[in-house]
Amino acid sequence: MIGPTAILSILIALSVTLITILVIWPSITTTRGGKILAFLALFILPMLCAAMGASEHLERSKQTQFCLSCHIMEPYGKSLYVDDPKYLAAAHLQNHRVRPDQACYTCHTDYVLYGGMKAKLRGLRHVYVQYLATPSKPIRLYHPYNNRECLHCHAGARSFEEGAVHNADPQTLPAVRANKLSCLSSGCHEVVHNVAQLDKVKFWKVAQ
Amino acid sequence: MSFNGSQIERRLRVSGVLLILGLSVEATSLRWSHPTAFLVFLFLGGLFWGGGILLYLYSLVSEGP
Repeated sequence: MIGPTAILSILIALSVTLITILVIWPSITTTRGGKILAFLALFILPMLCAAMGASEHLERSKQTQFCLSCHIMEPYGKSLYVDDPKYLAAAHLQNHRVRPDQACYTCHTDYVLYGGMKAKLRGLRHVYVQYLATPSKPIRLYHPYNNRECLHCHAGARSFEEGAVHNADPQTLPAVRANKLSCLSSGCHEVVHNVAQLDKVKFWKVAQ
Repeated sequence: MSFNGSQIERRLRVSGVLLILGLSVEATSLRWSHPTAFLVFLFLGGLFWGGGILLYLYSLVSEGP
């Protein structure tokens, strides 16, 4: 099965070949066939390649490796390998509760209409801050973490719906669903990345 | 007429070269999964494509009947 990157590479190679023919023999555009070729090579194919390239780059921006390629994100990447089930992000990655190759995006996108688009626009802002401004230390979320992002996967799951702690008080689950009781900052799952403590913890060594 | 013809051909050549540069930038940026690659694709690649496509379109509308 040919992937989108391979298809795009083939299209780029085809475009470059056709454009090269036109650059060497521009006089062929005096014929009807040459005009069609020029329109295809100098307009249609480059537009298609640009659109596919933009889509491919946006898709790549979901990758864990992409997020962690910025130096400032290094400790957050490291926190995914803490050998302690209390570390929420680490437990999610290590147990494949999120796709390991899209770990950051899965938890940090907004599960609303245009949430993915907003996440990508925030990503562009991050690039701007990284190169042209000074990132805050430590980096912070734009808004308090919304339970909606957790419930996107956990709502309806047996371990969540029937969990002893979640059902100890009948008010708990409705409050969690209404985002009135935070999953993360109500004393329940508050150890998330905890990057300030990384020098005091053990790390899981991934079996090769 | 021959002057117009050579001028159009020159524009097509320049447009083609700009587009080849844009496509080369795209091909290079796709080999790299980093925010900088996206910026290079967007701004440098976009500059070459924009220039190439606009010049091609201009050569079409500037062509006499």
